[in-house]
Amino acid sequence: MTGKEEAYDIRSILGQMRDEYWQALSEEEVQAREVLECLVFTLGGERFAFETQHACEVIRVPKLIRVPAVQTLIAGIFNLRGEITAAMDIRPMLGLAQPEIGAAGRIVVVKSDRFATGILIEAAHGVQGLCCDGFEPAMAGGAKRFVRGHFNEQDGSIILLDMEALLAAPEIVVGEG
Amino acid sequence: MGSRYLEIFCREAEEHLASLQSGLLVLERNPERSSLLHELLRNAHTLKGSARMVGLSDISAITHTMEEQLKGMERGERQVDADAIDLLLKGADAVALITSALLRGEVPDLDVERFVAEYDRGELTRPAPSETREAAAEQQSETVRANVKTLDHLVNLIGEMIINKKRLEAKLLTLKEIAASLPADQAQSLTLFRRDLEEDVLYQDYLIQELHEKAMALRMLPLRSISDGFERLVRDLAQQLGKEVRLQITGHGIEMDRVLLEGLKPMLIHLLTNAVCHGIESPHERTAAGKPREGVVSLSARHEGRSVIVEVADDGKGMDPARIKAAALAKGVIDPREAEAMGDEEALYLTFWPGFSTAEIVTDISGRGVGMDVVKRNIERVKGNITLTSEKGSFSRVTLQLPLTLSVIEALLIQCGGEDFAVPLNYVQEILKVRPEEISVLGAGEVIKVRGVTTPLYSLAAMLELPRQTKSCATLAVIVLKLADQRMACLVDAHLGSSEVVVKGLGKQFRNVRFLFGATIMGDGNPALILNVPDLFSAAANDGRRATRSGAELDEERRFKVLVVDDSITTRTMEQSILLTQGYDVVTAVSGEDALQKCADEDFDLIISDVEMPGINGFELTRALRESERYREIPIIIVSSLSRDEDKRQALQSGAQAYIVKGAFDQGMLLETVQMLIG
Repeated sequence: MTGKEEAYDIRSILGQMRDEYWQALSEEEVQAREVLECLVFTLGGERFAFETQHACEVIRVPKLIRVPAVQTLIAGIFNLRGEITAAMDIRPMLGLAQPEIGAAGRIVVVKSDRFATGILIEAAHGVQGLCCDGFEPAMAGGAKRFVRGHFNEQDGSIILLDMEALLAAPEIVVGEG
Repeated sequence: MGSRYLEIFCREAEEHLASLQSGLLVLERNPERSSLLHELLRNAHTLKGSARMVGLSDISAITHTMEEQLKGMERGERQVDADAIDLLLKGADAVALITSALLRGEVPDLDVERFVAEYDRGELTRPAPSETREAAAEQQSETVRANVKTLDHLVNLIGEMIINKKRLEAKLLTLKEIAASLPADQAQSLTLFRRDLEEDVLYQDYLIQELHEKAMALRMLPLRSISDGFERLVRDLAQQLGKEVRLQITGHGIEMDRVLLEGLKPMLIHLLTNAVCHGIESPHERTAAGKPREGVVSLSARHEGRSVIVEVADDGKGMDPARIKAAALAKGVIDPREAEAMGDEEALYLTFWPGFSTAEIVTDISGRGVGMDVVKRNIERVKGNITLTSEKGSFSRVTLQLPLTLSVIEALLIQCGGEDFAVPLNYVQEILKVRPEEISVLGAGEVIKVRGVTTPLYSLAAMLELPRQTKSCATLAVIVLKLADQRMACLVDAHLGSSEVVVKGLGKQFRNVRFLFGATIMGDGNPALILNVPDLFSAAANDGRRATRSGAELDEERRFKVLVVDDSITTRTMEQSILLTQGYDVVTAVSGEDALQKCADEDFDLIISDVEMPGINGFELTRALRESERYREIPIIIVSSLSRDEDKRQALQSGAQAYIVKGAFDQGMLLETVQMLIG
C-alpha cells in the first residue's frame, strides 16, 4: 500500500487506509444510487423499462393459443417448459397503441409471488444500467397507474414501469372476484 | 369408531371449515352476494352429513343450527349482518375445537347443548375458544400429505414423458415426409433409420405406459376406503326414521383415483341419505304395497370401458314425475307450458335445481334441497356424467359415470375457430356429418335430428366467442354432447380423432375460467385447451332464454362488425362485452390513430368512438373517416363525457350520427342506438 518501507509511519498509513475506506464506501453508495439495472424494451413504439429482478427470461413469441371468453388483455397461452403460461398484451392497460408484434417481438416472462406470466413486447433492447440522476418520478396520484416515472437518457426518455403494481393488478387475473 | 375414520373426518372437516370461514369473511364484506349463502349452506350440510356418519352428534348438532341460520338468511328471513356472521364463525370455531380435541384424543372442552341453545338465541357471549389449529394440522401433515404430493408430482412427470413421446411420434412423421421427398437411393438409408427409430419409440411408449399404470396404481384407492362408514350411516338414519333398511355394497374393491374418491364421497352420502329418507317407504307402507318389510339400498361399482360406473339404487317408492313437476311449478323453476311439454324422464332431472325439494317435511336430515344439486355440481367437478332412472312404486337408481383418473383423460380432439380443443370423451355421444339442408330452424335456434331426436344445434365458435370459419363445404362436422339427460349438437370446424391427453391446470393467473377446465400439450409442443362441457350446456341454456326474449335477429347469417375506439380500458371492455352478448363482432382500438389503421385493414359496419383521447380526438377521427370513400356512409356513434350542446353540435358537424353522453350511458341506450343504426 505504501510501497516505501523507509517511510513507514503508522499514522499516515492508517490515515490513508481510512481515506481509501471512506472513498470505497462513498463510491459504492454513489453507484447504488445512480444506476438501476433494467430490462429495456419497446411497447407501443415507446421505450419502457423495469428492474431486472422481476424478469425471468425473454423468449421469442411462440404460438399463442387464444383463450375463449376471457379479457382481451390475455392474448393467449403458451407452453413454457411444460407449464401453461399466459401471454398478456399490457399496452391497453398503459393506454398505448397496439402496433403489430412483428419478428422483433418477444415475450418477457415475469414472476409475481402468485404466478409467472408473459408480457408481449415489440422489441427487447437488453439489460441496461439506467442513470438515476436523470430520473423524473411520475406525479403522485397521476393517471398512469403503472408508471413510476421516466429516465432522461441521452438518446431519449425511458419510462420506468411499476412492475409490482402491474403484477398485483386484479385485471390481469382471469375470473378474479 | 376407528381412529382412521376420525382422522379422515377431521381432515374433511378442516377443509369445510376453511371454506366456511373464508366464505363468511367474503360475505361479511359483501352482504348482498346472496349466492355465497348457498355455497356456505352446502359446506355446513356436508359437514353435518359426514359428522352424522362417523357418529359425532355434537358436531352435527352445531352444524345443524348453523345450517338453519344460513337457510333463514337465504330465504331472507334472517339478516346478513356482522352479528350473524360472527355467530356463524363462532359455530365454525366450535367445530374446529371439537375436531382438534378429538384428534389429540381428548374430550373437547365445550358444553355443546348450552352452546347450541345460546347459538339459537343468538347470544353467544363466551367467545368460542379459538383453538390452536396449527397443532392439529401438524399432526396430520406427517401422515400422508407429503407423500401424496410427491406422488402427484411423479404422475405429472410421467405426464410430461407422455407429451414428449407424442412429440417424438410427430417427428417420426416428419422424417417419413423427408424420406418421401428424397431420391430413392438416398431415401433408403433414411427409411431404415426411421424404422429403427420407430421401434425405439414404440418400446419407449410401452415403458411409459407401464410406468404410468404403476404410478397411477399408487394413487388409486378402493371404493372401500370411503364406503366403510356408509353402513353405519344407513343404519342410524333408518333407525331414526323408523324404517328397516339394508345396505348392499358390491364392488368394494374397484379402485379409483384418490382425488376422485374425495369428490365422490359427499355425493354418495347425499345419494344414500336420499335413498333412505325419500326412497324407502315405512315398513307399514311396504307391506301394504306387497313388498318385503325391509328395504334394500344398494351401492355398486364396476368398470365399463375406461370409466367407472357407480350406482346408488333403492327398491322404494321411486320418483314421481308428476309430483316433481308440481313442485317445480310451485317453486317457479318451470312454467306451466314447459311442464306440459316435459316428458316423465326429463322431469326427474328437475331435482338438480338448487333449492329443489319434494319433501313435505323438512327434517334435519334431508329434504332441504341441498342434495341433488350438490351431487350434480360435484360430478361436474370430477368430469363425470349422471343418469337418473326410476319407476314409480318400484325403484329409483342414480348412475354416475366417472373417469378412472383426472390426470390423464380420453378426449376427442376438435378444431374450432382456428384452434384445437380437447373434449372429454365422457361427454361425447357421437360425431356426425351434417348437410346444410338437414338443419332446420325451430323458434330462435337451429336444430338437427340425431337418431330421430330433435337436438339443438349451436356453433361452438360462437359460444366460445371465437371467429367463425366461413366454410362452404357440402357437409358440416358436428359433435353431439351429452350431460345427464341433455343433448346438444355443436358445429365444429373438424374433428381430429380421439387421444389420451394429460390434463394440466391453467395456473393461478386463471382463477375461474368459463368453458375450460385445463389444457394439455400436444405433439407439436403447443397447448390445446380442454373444454368444460357442463359450461357449454349452461351457456346454451342461457342463450336459449335470451334468444326467445330478443327475437330471432341474433341468429342472422352475417354478424355486424363494430369498432370500439376508446383510450380507457374500462369503457372499451364494457362496450365490447355489451355488444358481444348481442352477437356483434367487436374490434377495439385504443386511439384515433389505431382506429384509422384498423379501418384501413378491415371493413366495419359501425364505429363507436370516444372524444378525448391521446393523439387525434374523436371528432378528428370522424372527419378523417368521412373523407375516405370507404367510410363516408358508415354510421359513427360518439360516446363522451362532454355534455355541452357545443360538443354535440361539433360531433354532428364532423359527421357522426349519434351522440351518447357517458353519464347517461347505459346498456340499453347503446344497444338501442346501435340497433337503430345497423339493425
